[in-house]
Amino acid sequence: MHGQSFAYQRPGSLREFEALYASHGDNAKILAGGTDLLVLIKERLLAPRLLLDISDLPELKGIAYDPAAGLTIGAGVKVAEIERSALVKEHAPALAFAASNLGSNQVRWMATMAGNVCHASPAAETPPVLLAHGCELLIGSQAGERRLPIAEFFLAYRKTALKPGEYLKGFRLPPLAADAAVAYRLRGLRRAMEIDMINLGVYLRLEADGATAAEVRLAMGSVGPISYRAAATEEKLKGMTVDEAFLAAAAAGVAAEAAPIDDVRASADYRNRVVGVLARRGLTHCLEQIGSRRNKA
Amino acid sequence: MKTLLKLNINGEDFDLAASPGAYLVDVIRETVGLTGTKKGCGIGDCGACTVLIDGRPTLSCLTLALACVGKEIVTIEGLSKGNELHPVQKAFIDKGAVQCGFCTPGMVLSAAALLRENDRPSRDEIKTALAGNLCRCTGYTKIVEAVEHAGQLISGEAHHG
Amino acid sequence: MAKREFDVIGSTVTRKDAPKKVKGEHEFADDLQFPMMLHGRIKRSDIAHSRILSIDTSKAQALPGVKAVLIGSETPIKYGIVPQMPTEYAIAHEKVRFHGEPVAAVAAVDPETAERALDLIEVVYEPLPVYTTPEEAMAEGAVKIHEDNKFPGNIAYEADQDFGDVEKAFADSHYVLEKTFKTSYVNHAFMEPHCAVSKFDTNGELFIWSTTQVPHYLHRHLSKVLQMEMDRIHVKVTGVGGAFGGKGEVSNNELISALLARKAGRPVKVLYSRREVFLQHRGRHPIQMRVKVGVDKEGMITAIDYDGTMDGGSYGGWGLVILFYTAAMLHLPYDVKNVRFRARRIFTNKPTCGAMRGLGGVQPRFALESLLDQIAIDLGMNPYDLKKKNAIGLKHETVSGQVVRHCEFRKCLDQATELSGYREKHGKLPFGKGIGLAGGYYISGTAYTLYMAYKPHSSALIRVDTEGGVTVYCGATDIGQGSDTVLGMMAAEKFGLPFETIHVVSGDTSLAPFDLGSFASRVTVAAGSAVCKAADNIIDKLLPVAAVQLGVRAEQLEAKRGMIRSVFEPGKEIAFWDVVSKYIDAHGPLTATGDYTPPRRTGKFKGANIGHSPTYGFSAQVTEVDVDLETGEVRVLRVTEAGDCGQPINPVSVEGQVEGSIMMGLGQALYEEVKVGRDGRLMNPSLHDYKIPTMADLPELNTTFVESYDPDSPYGAKEAGEGPIQPVIPAIFNAVYDAIGVRFTEMPITPERVLRALDEKKRQEGGTC
Repeated sequence: MHGQSFAYQRPGSLREFEALYASHGDNAKILAGGTDLLVLIKERLLAPRLLLDISDLPELKGIAYDPAAGLTIGAGVKVAEIERSALVKEHAPALAFAASNLGSNQVRWMATMAGNVCHASPAAETPPVLLAHGCELLIGSQAGERRLPIAEFFLAYRKTALKPGEYLKGFRLPPLAADAAVAYRLRGLRRAMEIDMINLGVYLRLEADGATAAEVRLAMGSVGPISYRAAATEEKLKGMTVDEAFLAAAAAGVAAEAAPIDDVRASADYRNRVVGVLARRGLTHCLEQIGSRRNKA
Repeated sequence: MKTLLKLNINGEDFDLAASPGAYLVDVIRETVGLTGTKKGCGIGDCGACTVLIDGRPTLSCLTLALACVGKEIVTIEGLSKGNELHPVQKAFIDKGAVQCGFCTPGMVLSAAALLRENDRPSRDEIKTALAGNLCRCTGYTKIVEAVEHAGQLISGEAHHG
Repeated sequence: MAKREFDVIGSTVTRKDAPKKVKGEHEFADDLQFPMMLHGRIKRSDIAHSRILSIDTSKAQALPGVKAVLIGSETPIKYGIVPQMPTEYAIAHEKVRFHGEPVAAVAAVDPETAERALDLIEVVYEPLPVYTTPEEAMAEGAVKIHEDNKFPGNIAYEADQDFGDVEKAFADSHYVLEKTFKTSYVNHAFMEPHCAVSKFDTNGELFIWSTTQVPHYLHRHLSKVLQMEMDRIHVKVTGVGGAFGGKGEVSNNELISALLARKAGRPVKVLYSRREVFLQHRGRHPIQMRVKVGVDKEGMITAIDYDGTMDGGSYGGWGLVILFYTAAMLHLPYDVKNVRFRARRIFTNKPTCGAMRGLGGVQPRFALESLLDQIAIDLGMNPYDLKKKNAIGLKHETVSGQVVRHCEFRKCLDQATELSGYREKHGKLPFGKGIGLAGGYYISGTAYTLYMAYKPHSSALIRVDTEGGVTVYCGATDIGQGSDTVLGMMAAEKFGLPFETIHVVSGDTSLAPFDLGSFASRVTVAAGSAVCKAADNIIDKLLPVAAVQLGVRAEQLEAKRGMIRSVFEPGKEIAFWDVVSKYIDAHGPLTATGDYTPPRRTGKFKGANIGHSPTYGFSAQVTEVDVDLETGEVRVLRVTEAGDCGQPINPVSVEGQVEGSIMMGLGQALYEEVKVGRDGRLMNPSLHDYKIPTMADLPELNTTFVESYDPDSPYGAKEAGEGPIQPVIPAIFNAVYDAIGVRFTEMPITPERVLRALDEKKRQEGGTC
């Protein structure tokens, strides 16, 4: 459990970091919060030669909102900052809620959402809500930047679309339409400090009639090797009238598209059942949000 | 191979040598000798090793010592001003929130960080902020009461005792 | 009851350790550093059951920085907390019995070097079949886990006790209910991992600093395993960061640190990782119990029949004692005339079970309180009424001969149900919401030492000195529960001095007189009695001196508020310290001792020594839950506890014991379970996957006491640390039954189990339509 041998560097600028990261290849790991990485190292599941500490790089800080571009969040932003950000609470309250359910308060002050996403654990808290938001990832490297929908980011269990030398630079959540909302629902055994047995992000946009589903996204965690969207169900729900049958179809759909396993935290059977409950509750919460916004307007 | 580093702990600079793989908790406890920071699990599950870094509650068992260069580290030894206890410390004593004392330093620091942000937290806010500090002795009730009381001491609505 | 007025007892004093603890100044074993100190680490088996064919430590020994390597053949002396049945070695000798058992140890200049050395030790095993359940271990043809075990089928020990005529009583019963219950494999999960530092001085005497509840038993074991005279061993208890029974017997790291220190000739610290805490274990025994209860038309209990199989894990530990405690704790706090108890403890290839808060009581209480709840409901009675009818009165003797000298359990039932509105709410809440009641009790100390010595169980020495002040020396061990405070408060009350002025020296086998240790909720009554007697003896020396000064009779004087004063004549008084000064001038040093020996009750049946206690504490709890019918989540909303702990010496500390007990029981009821793979490997030996309640899981706790005073106890006090955990689990289970009509008989009640049970219930109800 005591110190293992690796080198540590804290590059002073993003350019310096990119150069170092490019030159060290697989031998280097990015240290942002360390709450996942250092546990893996301590448990000898990883043995990098070099840790590149990016936690203080000013280029990766900051949360901003622009009516056209939406909400942007730098990769260096701490989960606790997301949890508390007035901009996030206003434009992506489900993300603030998901952030508030990640680990402990200490972990939230240490960890970044980028780390949560890049570790690509299927039980991670933030990917489902980011998937529901249709988030776009900004991926950096010495060669330049590229953008990638988060739905294309998770390739397999703990495997992402990042290529050698690439790193996650930031997030962009497109602005939510007036008739749209996002919700996040989770189940752990305890009420804090959990790796979720199951979690789910929901996006719902209604047609102008306020009664028809224009677009639905249902993103599930802990029901497969990665966090992913129930694409067939989303397609099926599109155009349906938002009523009990709609909620039932959503619940049945996600349960059908979930492919959970039994593990130390929950059985596949339980996850299959509860993912539908969470979908129903998430959609209901979206409807309430949209409804209250309409009432105010 | 050890590296030389300067850590600012409780307002004092310490010139130290540590390997890059050394964790803050071990450097604080073994090299500096401030043993008030406790180690209950070593992998971030219990919160006993909580310290404040730039005012934020941080798990020192998952923080590299080298990553703390240039930052302000406050351990439990640095929370009180000499013999003048921090209001959270006073409240923990007054409300009977201390039993074995092993989780206490981390718990006190988490509470101090919370109250710095919000000196009138609701019970739910306290529970959320301190859920990462496990305690097996107290059943938490008196800790919640102590944090509420400390908030009142800080905002001047109650007196010690 | 006469109103008793105290200056210190019953008030909330500031624990002297609290200011140090909030500043991180309280010293725990891992905080100690000595010059030249080495760090010991333990190589653990990666196989659960095997013979050890060979161990090659040559590469480890050759590693620079390694100062000593130790293997089991160097320490082949068996020990056990029950000295008649030793089963354990400091390091596995010839055989490995659980996955993660120590097979070698290294002392090196730093932890990294020690850990690297462990990787260089090569062990060759000859695997044996692995038994992770009692069924497997008891099966025909199973290999013996302990070759010298005289019982067949890996039975460690068995018990059978019969009282009254159980068969006839069942035959005459109006209603009989039988169910099988299963309890879980849980760990204490105290926050401070085990740690011990051993140091031999130049004269060859051993000093060991350790986080232990039982310095005396550690002292004896060290003497045995290290083959040293006890007077050359000095055990010093450091701060203890929680224990709950888990530090209530000798731990391998203690013996290994001493053995390594002797071999290396340097101080050695052995600190456990959290995983190693789970391997040392000694947590609560999982028991599968078939329990049958009969009642007459009025709901009076006619008979109880119990058959239980305890999963003991790989070694003996406290197991034998716990087996018989389970028998003793079956029927109280109810009056039952016919009882049959059959049980066995089985060796399996898992970390050893042992003493955990409320040992012996928690499992049978779960079964009994569940059955009584169900019987009441089946008979159309309110469970409160049934329990109240059967509750014992102020004094009681059980069929097994346990004498309860003082009991206010009926008041507990009344108070808990009144404060919570139980009688109005039970059976009337909407589906998904429920309320449950359970009762319980616990001993306040045992009647015997484990090795049957006649010496007092507790002794105290008080020194009153004009320079040094008042110092209470007592071998009792403050494990965080605040026993030093309780002993100091008792002395302060006796002397009429402020609590703050009393010094307490405890937990040190060289400095403090003998005490058995902190277990069985014995300290307040046993050590408290010893301290009170010692204080009385001091006062007996002082009063004649004061009497001469005041010109009154000594028997009319009392020590109160810093004075020795006449009870009858206000103003006839002299300062306490003036009297002390005059005493010392005339007679020399002022010291006195006191001791305590519990009544040595027994009976004429196997296990009859166990269960007797000077006095017993009682409690009743009402718990309210909310069940999420779609996700299966059980949320405890509120717990109302009414406790009979006699006179609470320090009420805030007693509340802390109750609140800690409730949360620990809540964890076992809903979340906690050490999971074991088929190969005997622990699946969740971390505080992340072994889920103890967090602050976010805290319900509203309403902790109250009933008016109570045991006149034969020191200041009327009884236990408070283990009784309150007894009702927690069945109260939750009974509340869940009230909420959803499902009688769970297996813990924990996970969301999955709730959903499965609701499905089953729906299926059955559908089937009957």
